[in-house]
Amino acid sequence: MVGLVVVCHSRPLARAAVALASEMTQGRPLAIEVAAGLDETTFGTDAVAISEAIAAADSGDGVVVLMDLGSAVLSAELALEMVDEPGRVVLSPAPLVEGLVAAAVAAASGADRHEVADEARNGLAGKQSHLEQDVAVEQTPAGGTTVKVINKHGLHARPAARLVTEIRAFDARVELRNATTGTGWVPASSLTRVATLGALQNHELEVRGEGREAAEAVNRVVALAAAAFGETDAEDADHPRGGGASPGIGTGPALRIREAAIDLPDAPSQGSATEWRRLESALDDVRQEIARLHSPIFDAHRLLLDDDDLLADVRARLDRNEAAPQAWSAATARTAAAFDALTDPYLRGRAADVRAVSQQVLRALLKLPTPAPDGDGVLLAADLTPAEAAALDPERITGVVLAAGSPTSHAAILTRTRGIPAVVGAGPQILQIPDGTLIAMDGSTGEVVADPSEPVLATFRARAQQQRVRRNEALTRAAAPAVTTGGVPIEVGANIGSVEDARAAAANGADLAGLVRTEFLFLDRDEAPTVDEQVAVYRAIAEALGGRRITLRTLDAGSDKPLRYLPPPAEANPFLGVRGLRHSLAHPAMFAEQLTAIVRVARETPVSVMFPMVTTVDELRAARAMLAEAGDAPGLQVGMMVEVPAAALRAAEFVPYVDFFSIGTNDLTQYTLAAERGNAALLSLTSGLDPAVAQLIDHVGRAAGDRVLVAVCGELAGDEAAVPRLLASGVRELSVAPSLVPLVKQAVRAA
Amino acid sequence: MGAEAVDAWIREFARLIAANKDELTALDSAIGDGDHGTNMDRGLTAVVSMLDAEPQATPSALFKKVGMTLISKVGGASGPLYGTAFLRMAAAAGDEVDLAKVLRAALDGVIARGKAEPGDKTMVDALAPAVDALEAGAGLAAAAEAAAKGRDATIPLVARKGRASYLGERSAGHADPGATSVTLLLTAAATTLGDQN
Repeated sequence: MVGLVVVCHSRPLARAAVALASEMTQGRPLAIEVAAGLDETTFGTDAVAISEAIAAADSGDGVVVLMDLGSAVLSAELALEMVDEPGRVVLSPAPLVEGLVAAAVAAASGADRHEVADEARNGLAGKQSHLEQDVAVEQTPAGGTTVKVINKHGLHARPAARLVTEIRAFDARVELRNATTGTGWVPASSLTRVATLGALQNHELEVRGEGREAAEAVNRVVALAAAAFGETDAEDADHPRGGGASPGIGTGPALRIREAAIDLPDAPSQGSATEWRRLESALDDVRQEIARLHSPIFDAHRLLLDDDDLLADVRARLDRNEAAPQAWSAATARTAAAFDALTDPYLRGRAADVRAVSQQVLRALLKLPTPAPDGDGVLLAADLTPAEAAALDPERITGVVLAAGSPTSHAAILTRTRGIPAVVGAGPQILQIPDGTLIAMDGSTGEVVADPSEPVLATFRARAQQQRVRRNEALTRAAAPAVTTGGVPIEVGANIGSVEDARAAAANGADLAGLVRTEFLFLDRDEAPTVDEQVAVYRAIAEALGGRRITLRTLDAGSDKPLRYLPPPAEANPFLGVRGLRHSLAHPAMFAEQLTAIVRVARETPVSVMFPMVTTVDELRAARAMLAEAGDAPGLQVGMMVEVPAAALRAAEFVPYVDFFSIGTNDLTQYTLAAERGNAALLSLTSGLDPAVAQLIDHVGRAAGDRVLVAVCGELAGDEAAVPRLLASGVRELSVAPSLVPLVKQAVRAA
Repeated sequence: MGAEAVDAWIREFARLIAANKDELTALDSAIGDGDHGTNMDRGLTAVVSMLDAEPQATPSALFKKVGMTLISKVGGASGPLYGTAFLRMAAAAGDEVDLAKVLRAALDGVIARGKAEPGDKTMVDALAPAVDALEAGAGLAAAAEAAAKGRDATIPLVARKGRASYLGERSAGHADPGATSVTLLLTAAATTLGDQN
């Protein structure tokens, strides 16, 4: 991609211009560097800084430099004498803001540097034609198709950017004119020219095209116009952005999870009361499955499970001696049909929700397996339940693109664990892509392209090849220890939620299990596991890892992850409720059994134990007292998760009571930023290493000093970009999804 | 002339800039954005600190360091202009510094960077006559005199380059700040290098 460099006298001005331009690219990544001001407040330009910015922005495709005035121009010219490849740099005479906006859209859509510079140069066209009275109207023959602009605010910048980006992907020259106001033809590949159409709501645009893919391109314009160029009312309120959730490139035909029609068994009713209990239990199962998602996309589903009108209908049918599956199926079919009959398209769309929930409850009632996508390719879905994500076959599903979700959602974590590339929060428009359309996606950058042109596809393939090479390099060194360039050895472990994960961890060269989520032993069953059962599973994990150290986290349950045999009280906010260690201390008998099992395993094999959701020193002391009751094991290391900001701030007070801290960056981030990690609208807050969280991690590192080891077991530990920062804070152990271990070791070696 | 002499010249230039900072700024306020004095003083203060911290062994290395420092510290248009001038001087300086030769290189650099011609009311109007004088065999004192004359000749001119050009006719009636600071550079040379050339 062509890089952009913004040179101007004022650093805040440059940053604001970049923010404005970034809004236009719908979350597509840009390579923009800023060389502005001598410092935060001193106006001026610096040729050395500009030459560095050019080098940073150049990934091989060249750079276009946008400047304000005076010394900016002179310094940029001087900077050209200092860069290695001045031939790849274009200094643009465009006005800074208009030029940058136009250049950003062109660069994000893959234009070369000359096209980007041309777009920038035309940056004034929209404003000029708006302010100048007599715009020459080119008389041209009519032809092609006509589309209507339905967007409330007309074809304004964001939808226009979407149009331009999509049309550029075709091998065709597409032109538009505003038939309502009678403008001349303009190329649809130019944002600045499209802006001159002045297309308002209900204006009609004529579309024509020539070239190899002209017909497809014109059809795409028709489809885009019908879909308001991807603009939704919800999008106005918040701007969900696609985000990479699981690295890797996926290409293949678009696939969906097909709901096979469920055959209702012909069994007679066992009586109204019995059938109601059957149904209630199925409804409960589905409620729990949805609750575990924390995904607002399923809110409507949850509401339907408690819908009085629907449930009254079901009861009436049960009383008429129908069996539960028949009653539920008929009642939900009636509700869906009622939605179908509405004129409002939003409400009509809810019929699909009703049908989805209906099927999910029927499957729970009839104990049917979770449906899996049929075929090979890239799976498109609104969101995935953990069960659906867990059922994906990495051999057949080359990638996953979700309209909702966030990189820290359960679905994202599961795709990462399974090594399937995934993009989340890609927006509802992905659901309009027809089945079988070729999709290319990049789980690192969040890019998703439907029906890519051959050159675009080729770049994805090249990137995939590059990643394979990198991954192979990493794999060949996976078993070797990871040592930084400064000579500091870093343990890289795996996060484990099953014995199968432990095998994957060993195969990927994990130095230890840095986090064993023991919940998997406790959830989805009718009674707590016995001490013997726990010992057997913990031992199996240690064996699968060839006797490497396993870090067992005590049960992290609560009303966010409810246990059937210990139904939690209703809580307004489960994430701020009785969970983690709070839950264990509230149920001491079960906690004591888990500690007993852990101590027993620790006498056989290297074990660390850690407590989740610790807030105060008193809680930790209470836990340690119970651990002491459970017995003694030589070599048992005791630690705590640092995921509550209060614990991070008072880390020094905890030091005397632990051998290690393990920072759970997922929860620490959501508690520090007051931003739920499953909420796609908050992705910009919850993805990556926030400076406030980084500060807390620094603080923990300083408090720990040499006395206590600091580990990170959240998603950030697997973020190659964050690794150097974490190590600089004193982190000496990272624990990540098993498939990421080799790459994280490479990141450590480079740090 | 060795690195020590050049060092003394640059330090004297820095002193003159500091002493005339307010005058330069006043001139620039009348016809530009009012930052020439502040910017040049910031740049040359940084140059003096650099010279204190890392003394340079050869005139060429010294000119280069001065150029790079000005590029990063001045901020305004005089940063890349003076920066280019000193970088070209570094390239032109051999074992023996021939002042006519290095200042001609500086003038060519400033013209190439700023695309200014004589009479545009810029640094060139002071630097060009000084270089001409040196090439004609005059001493440094005469060259500084020629620069000062060139500077004074900018007073009635209308600016055609830089921020001052936005002012059009209103830029007439004041000396050009760039020509003024160039004159200080030549004055510093005359004071410190004397007859060495």
